[in-house]
Parts: sequence; C-alpha cells; structure tokens
Amino acid sequence: MDQKSDQDLVQDVRNGNRQAFTELMRRHQQRVYWVARRIVGNHEDADDIAQDAFIKAFLSLGDFRGDSSFFTWLYRIAVNLSLNTVRRRQVLTYLRESEILSRFLPLGNDPHHDLELKELESRLQRAIGSLPEKQRAVFVLRYYDGMPYEEIAGVLKTSVGGLKANYFHALRKVQEYLKDEISTGNTAR
Amino acid sequence: MKFRQGTPLVDDRAEEELAAEVRRVAAALGEPHQEAPPDPYWQNLLVRTNDRVDRATSGRALTISWAARVAFPGVVAILSFLIGLRYFAPQHESHAPTLANVFLSMPQQAVDTLLSDPSEISAALSVADLGVDPLNPEKEEFANYLINNGSVATLEESMSDQQVTAVLTALGSYREQSTTGVRQQ
Repeated sequence: MDQKSDQDLVQDVRNGNRQAFTELMRRHQQRVYWVARRIVGNHEDADDIAQDAFIKAFLSLGDFRGDSSFFTWLYRIAVNLSLNTVRRRQVLTYLRESEILSRFLPLGNDPHHDLELKELESRLQRAIGSLPEKQRAVFVLRYYDGMPYEEIAGVLKTSVGGLKANYFHALRKVQEYLKDEISTGNTAR
Repeated sequence: MKFRQGTPLVDDRAEEELAAEVRRVAAALGEPHQEAPPDPYWQNLLVRTNDRVDRATSGRALTISWAARVAFPGVVAILSFLIGLRYFAPQHESHAPTLANVFLSMPQQAVDTLLSDPSEISAALSVADLGVDPLNPEKEEFANYLINNGSVATLEESMSDQQVTAVLTALGSYREQSTTGVRQQ
C-alpha cells in the first residue's frame, strides 16, 4: 500500500477499502495538522481541524473530481476550516469587547480569552495572527511549507499574481510587527 | 480585485530578500519553534479520526441522545393526550333523554297544549320508561282537568263506556231536576 499513489488509494477508498483511507491519513496528517496549527495558532484547535478535515474529505470523496491532486484538495478543506475557526474567534472577541455585551460579559475575566493569548506562543505567531485571513493563509503556506504559488492558487482558488502581492504585503506587515517588538524592548519568552 | 495604480510588481528576488529578513529578525528575537506534539499523538490522531468516521457513517439512526430528546417526550405527549381524551373530554349522553325528562323540562303552557290535544302527541313517543307518568294522572284529576280545559270530544274519547253511561245518566237526572225546578218556579 505504501507504493500506491494518492490517486490509486482514493479509488480504493471509493471501492470500500477503509485501510486505503487510513494510509492517506498517515501520509498527510502532519502537514494538515501544521497548516491548521500555524493559521489558528494553538494545538487544540489544530487537532480538531485535522480530524474534521479528514472526516469531511472521507464523506465528500464522491465529489472529488481529480482536477487537482488529492493533497491540494485536502489542504483546501483544512485551510477553509482553519479560517472558519479564526473568523469565529474574531466574532467572539468582538462580542466580548462590544460595549453592549460588556454589560453581560465580564471583560478580561474570560479564561478562554486569556487562554487564547497564551496559545499565541510567540511574537511571530502573534504577528501572523494580526494578518487578514487571506494573507495569513498565503503566508503560512509559502513561508512555512515553501509551497509553489501554482499549488497555493489551487488551494485558495485565487490567481498567482494576487497571491504574490498578498504574500509580499504579509511579509512586510510581519517584519514591521517584529521590528516594533524589538524597538519597544519586549523580551523574548 | 482592486487595481492599485503605481504598485510595483513583486519580483521573486525582492520577495526572497524580505522573507530572509523576517527569518533573521525572528531569530534575533529568540523565537522558539512551535512545540511539536509527541510521536504517539500521530497514531492516536489516526485512531480518533477513524472512530469519528465510523460514527459518521454508521447506519444507526437511533441513539440514546435522539431517544432522550425526541422519542421519550413524544411518547409521553401521545399518552397524555389519550388519557386526557378518555377521562376529561366532554361526556355526551349515550341515549336520548327520557320522555319524563322532556316533559319535566317543558314549560307549563306546552304541557297544557299536549294534554288538551292528544293528537299532537306523536305515536313514536314512548311512555314505557316514564318514572313519573304525566300522561296518566289519577283518573278523577284527569277528568276534572278535561272538564275545565278540554273539549267534549276529548272527554268522550278518554272515558270508558261505563263512565259515559254514568255521566249521561247523571246528566239526564240533572236535566230532569232542572226542568222540574223550572216548572216548580
């Protein structure tokens, strides 16, 4: 089974072979986990997203037409789930800080909020966390995974030219954020 | 996509230099690498994910959770409805009211009308279940009532031949007495 291509394994899964799907998971689980981890910034969410991505892939295997590689398709699922998690967290943060809801929710006393801050375990991670969603996804895929733009375009369903611009802007913002950290004298954790 | 005029095209070299600069600054800050999960985590992830896939694809429709949320309250609601229907629904009379109840609930004028003109009484009326028998009062009372309120024909039809003979005899002697009384006057 180790010698089979992803495409052959996908076909085996469609024919009812669950072991083939386990092999697909074994091959790609680390990369799926790490892309989620770098976008959402913490282990717990990344763990959930990795599981959800594989479950969604298994259930939607009938919709996979083979236009892209299985890995690109799986990565797309994982990135979308990660960005959804980020959006949900931003909405919760906004609601907590909202003047109206602050009457009902104690600001700053939310253990979940404090935990999120702790989970952004490095300033680099916090810098990435400050990026808009799309720039964040591009940055993670290019900076950490070294993924070619053509493949990133397949994952994010966007043009190569737009991706290049997004990545360049993301790099600039991260650079400025880190330089601010140095200039304000924040010591490393 | 917005078109920004004057935005220089990003070339690969500029991008590589900037990425290198970011790595250098991050290293200068002493940024730790994100801590990787221990090795057993990956095997455990496979097991947990496979379990979730099995649950998601199982054909089992009835779960304990579903039973608690849907089936049990539904059964309780249906049983409550049936019990309420059995014991608390409005009761209808299973049989027609008795003739006695009908007469007793009728106004006096209507009763009088029936007694004075028996032809209005339907042949379908049953007197068999009368507890109180308003149609068969004491004969003397009935006769007095008819004399005061009824017609002669009714009186005749209701009386036996013996009673009619007795009345005629009495009337005959009454007429004689009346005539004699007039002659004497």
